[in-house]
Amino acid sequence: MMFDYRNFALRKLAGIAPRYLPFADVATPEVPLSRLLRLSLFQVTVGMALVLLVGTLNRVMIVELAVPASLVAGMLALPLLFAPFRTLIGFRSDTHVSALGWRRVPYIWKGTMYQFGGFAIMPFALLVLSGYGEAIDAPRWIGLSSAALAFLLVGAGLHMVQTVGLALATDLVREEDQPKVVGLMYVMLLLGMVVSALIFGWLLEPYTPGRLVQVIQGCAVVTVALNLAALWKQEARDRNRAREMQLAPRADFFAAWRRLIARPGALRLLVVIGLGTFGFGMADVLLEPYGGQALGLSVAATTKLTALLATGTLIGFGIASRLLGSGGEPVALGRIGALIGIPGFAAIILSSMGGGVALFLAGTFATGLGAGLFGHATLTATIRGAAREQTGLALGAWGAVQATCAGIGIALAGIVRDILVGLDAGGGLPAHTPYNMVFMIEIVFLVLAVIMALQLRPKSERSTPRTQGVEAEPQPVEGT
Amino acid sequence: MTDDPDKVWPTGLNLHEAEEVHSYLIDGTRVFGAIALLAHILVAVSTPWLG
Repeated sequence: MMFDYRNFALRKLAGIAPRYLPFADVATPEVPLSRLLRLSLFQVTVGMALVLLVGTLNRVMIVELAVPASLVAGMLALPLLFAPFRTLIGFRSDTHVSALGWRRVPYIWKGTMYQFGGFAIMPFALLVLSGYGEAIDAPRWIGLSSAALAFLLVGAGLHMVQTVGLALATDLVREEDQPKVVGLMYVMLLLGMVVSALIFGWLLEPYTPGRLVQVIQGCAVVTVALNLAALWKQEARDRNRAREMQLAPRADFFAAWRRLIARPGALRLLVVIGLGTFGFGMADVLLEPYGGQALGLSVAATTKLTALLATGTLIGFGIASRLLGSGGEPVALGRIGALIGIPGFAAIILSSMGGGVALFLAGTFATGLGAGLFGHATLTATIRGAAREQTGLALGAWGAVQATCAGIGIALAGIVRDILVGLDAGGGLPAHTPYNMVFMIEIVFLVLAVIMALQLRPKSERSTPRTQGVEAEPQPVEGT
Repeated sequence: MTDDPDKVWPTGLNLHEAEEVHSYLIDGTRVFGAIALLAHILVAVSTPWLG
């Protein structure tokens, strides 16, 4: 009698325990939307980190902490240094060896920890850097190196989380559903950026050093919580895969890279992504000051500009999801996105030459729409172009190009504008000239992107479905 | 999975799997510890609480 009771209890416990373990026991072929929505939470934390770095801290460090602007720019550029390593991270996650059969979860978890660690020490590092309290007597290198470490950790973490998270999302769904997932991921990134920008602004309104510590560390906690929620039970435990992992030969990064690049149009697609992202990215930081200085819009009105740009981008994501989900060609759609951006920027330039505010708003909306279409279509093209077992590497390459070009674009836009303003010390030029020069550069880059994209053979990848990828991979691909 | 001789009670994981899950916990503790130490040092630099 006693033994039976024990046995019963043990069996009950054994049945309950797997529910509290962070993996799915079965890989279901059909992943419900609610699970994908939960997974996309990692994009919210990425967006939150980006906004905190590029938007909020940029201002707080210069205005409230009185750190020299050049030092701030250098610190904020540090996460960019890590962007090329996304390729390596993606590759490592493709070839990861785990007893659980996991490939993506360990890297997302590690990335989350780096992001958390960076945010946890960042406020104190910034306070020491700005000479708060007794830190004024501390040696300078303590503040400098700890702030640099904090930014590097956050950058490394967010690049890891985004690359491997996107790879996991790609793993989970069937090929025809991938455009929807790409759209969902982009929307969540945008949502995370917009919502966290509003919340950070509201929380830091009466600025105190204590408030800064609370906000950044709160951000760290929210990052861990959301990423854990996103990861929970997403990747299946798979003993067969674990056995295959142990037996697989040690893969070489450069060999894998050569194989990725050997696919027709793969390198050209990366160039197109770089040119287009650079072209669209330069505008982000200049639209608001342009609206204020060249067209005389108020601060409240220029903030609405960003909302208009984001609305256009969202509509672009929606259209792209729908078209690509029903069999559209991603390369062609990306070209259309870049093409929409060209008249958009032309309209923005013309608005300061007598075109008026209505033309400016139309141009802003058009560039947002173009950027949405272009971003979605090129990411979908990247995912479709890669073999199933190279998803991580392909997404790493996409992320490396995309993040580097967007970062350089944002930095260069400010630098070019400042140089042109500096050259014009006498004040002979109208206020809109430096901005219009930058917008001209963007048009040039978008035209280059369209020209490069024209030579991408749209149907080339269609003939090599991903299901064949494993068997077909040793064959040379130039025959297609 | 239930007939795996290697399984560890009560999770149903075998030894290698359990060790891997445990390694994430250990790594996490180390990173959290290092970060906490560094954060405390930085706070002590700006607002010293010892002597």
